Amino acid sequence: MTPDMTLTQTLVIALLQAIAVILLIFIIVPLTIFAERKVLGFLQQRLGATRVAGGHVGITGFMNKRMWGMGKLPFLSYWRGIPMLVADVLKLFIKEDIVPTKADKWVFLFSPALSMIAAITVFAAVSFYPGALFHFPKAFPLIGGLPFNGVLADVNAGLLLILGIASVGVYGIVLGGWASNSKYPLLGGLRSAAQIVSYEVPLTLSLLAPVVLAGTLNFNDLTRRLATELPIWAVLPMIVGFLIYLTCGFAECNRVPFDMPEAETELVAGFHTEYAGIRFALFYLAEYINMMVAAAIASAFFLGGPFLAPFGLHKFLVGVPFLGAPNALFMVAKVIFVLFVFIWVRGTIPRYRYDQIMAVGWKYLIPLTLVNLLAAAAIRFAC
Amino acid sequence: MFKHHEMEINMGPQHPSTHGVLRLKLTLDGENITSCRPVIGYLHRGVEKICENKTFHQGQVWTDRMDYCSAVANNLGWAEATEKLLGITVPRRARYIRTMLNEYNRIASHLLWLATHALDIGAMTVFLYAFREREAILDLFELFCGSRLTTTALRIGGLRDDLPPGFEKKAYAFIETFNACVDEYETLLTENRIWKKRTVGVAKIGAEACLAMGVTGPVLRAAGVAHDIRKAFPYAAYDEMEFEVPTRTEADTYARYEVRLEEMRQSAHIIRQCLDKMPEGPVMAKIPKVLKSEVNEVYHATEAPKGEIGYYLVSEKGGTNPYRFHVRAPGFVNLQALPQMVQGALIADVIAAIGTLDVVLGEIDR
Repeated sequence: MTPDMTLTQTLVIALLQAIAVILLIFIIVPLTIFAERKVLGFLQQRLGATRVAGGHVGITGFMNKRMWGMGKLPFLSYWRGIPMLVADVLKLFIKEDIVPTKADKWVFLFSPALSMIAAITVFAAVSFYPGALFHFPKAFPLIGGLPFNGVLADVNAGLLLILGIASVGVYGIVLGGWASNSKYPLLGGLRSAAQIVSYEVPLTLSLLAPVVLAGTLNFNDLTRRLATELPIWAVLPMIVGFLIYLTCGFAECNRVPFDMPEAETELVAGFHTEYAGIRFALFYLAEYINMMVAAAIASAFFLGGPFLAPFGLHKFLVGVPFLGAPNALFMVAKVIFVLFVFIWVRGTIPRYRYDQIMAVGWKYLIPLTLVNLLAAAAIRFAC
Repeated sequence: MFKHHEMEINMGPQHPSTHGVLRLKLTLDGENITSCRPVIGYLHRGVEKICENKTFHQGQVWTDRMDYCSAVANNLGWAEATEKLLGITVPRRARYIRTMLNEYNRIASHLLWLATHALDIGAMTVFLYAFREREAILDLFELFCGSRLTTTALRIGGLRDDLPPGFEKKAYAFIETFNACVDEYETLLTENRIWKKRTVGVAKIGAEACLAMGVTGPVLRAAGVAHDIRKAFPYAAYDEMEFEVPTRTEADTYARYEVRLEEMRQSAHIIRQCLDKMPEGPVMAKIPKVLKSEVNEVYHATEAPKGEIGYYLVSEKGGTNPYRFHVRAPGFVNLQALPQMVQGALIADVIAAIGTLDVVLGEIDR
């Protein structure tokens, strides 16, 4: 709340921003899922989703026919699988919501929501653009002329907020696995508890290096200082930090090669084995939203966010027209790139074993991040 | 307040990576396996008993359905065992074509193994790469005999038909590119650190234990024993072929992976020799309408992709169907090694062990 706004105005704008963020999530997440199918298809020499199953009747049948007509054009034919997203969501909504008889009912019902809430709330502190994206026209009642910022909650300890809320999400997984009262979900839940708690440490430590270099926790200030005010030597800890952060990001989002909690071929479906319908969908969505958060943080802190050049090299570009100015499109492009890396890695490498994941985290990543942090501190001290 | 508690968990018969309907009763201490007991029989159809009530020609169709991933190898064993029993000599051209088809089948079976094994360990792209080449082999089978999986490609006494026009060209085209394809799988796996971490030293079973349990095939060869029935007791046209038996001494999952990849290359080499040296002549021996056995009993072993597949046929002189039929299925014998392989290992290693044994439940349960 800036001093020139009343409380009502602040709340109305915050509400509008919240709606915008949620809409953004629910547009981007399905597109990520579609992209995952298509990119994996590309990596594996197949087409990916090209149609909706379900013949020529009903909603999906209608979509199929329309998309098939469009598909005669060469470019559009690639997008014929798009209705699949609608069909997926429909299916998950319509399916019966089964609760196992011996499950701990309330915990079982609540834990997907917990995962989802944690995942969405994190977005409040993620900034896509420093400052106002646009101003409401003067003609608007109540909020006319006020700015619509690129971040919902511009708090001073933004990074701390993100890390804190993100770590609540693991409760959803652990409790979901435990409440199912079944053996495979239990193993999945335990694995995930151990894994996420272990990887939280190097993840946070790898983010501390940029924080030390920039000297602030505010998301916007961090992004700006990291992009434009770093000494040239800071490139090294930034690159190392980026690689470590990305690795931990895979682990935090339960993605290959660290998809232990699910480990499809070992634990059937891990912690969500007993979940069906929309509750399963909540877990699924939460995973993808977490991926987006990880991608957003990686691009904001290490790749320069809305500033074009990555790893703090942007200061050489300041003053250049268009490329030198911050632009939300740069941020979006970087997020998309990091998401692509997530999918790319999934298509390329196998899965670690549980004990090996722990070894990687504790024996290699944590010492490496500590050294990196020291290097960052030394650079900060020297320059 | 806290007490040590072991958990018994049921892996299968419906589980994404037990390759069909294998069921394992695992006792877990945390994530470590303290005991593993395979439970089989979910796919039992009584193939042996059924074949005893069929004529020799009819029985052959059932052998396809045992190890459905390597139908030709099963057919070949049955056909040769029956030919021994009936005293039939197969024309040379038929033996060459049989050898070639058998090797194609070996590649197809190994590709399926590679695909599912890699998928189990989490490398999903290898699956589709391997299936790309397997598809080409299945197309060749389709061209030859009309079916793709359960082919019944061979007949007792030779082959039903000669190679169709255009077959040789396509067969050559496949082996021209196949070695490059194996290289491509290797780029994804061989030097991959995670793949090595998951396979090196995992599910070890040494040569002595293998021999004690009768384990054969790539599992035995990866333990350093160069036992291959194609070399030891040549059948079909293998005595005229030049090939190597790849072995490793590490006896772990990675060694088996290397052995199988090398076997695929050797198979391609054998196919090339078959095509190059293909003799002319008939493909079917003169056999009577009703087959009657000449001797009382016969055991014939061949090298299937999974190991030694043996057909034991008992019949009376002049009988038109086997009196007793028994299959020494390699998968069944190899599966015995599983509890020893996974003792003290982690759950993820069980998956790797099942994959590396290359079990097909159709053959184990018969």
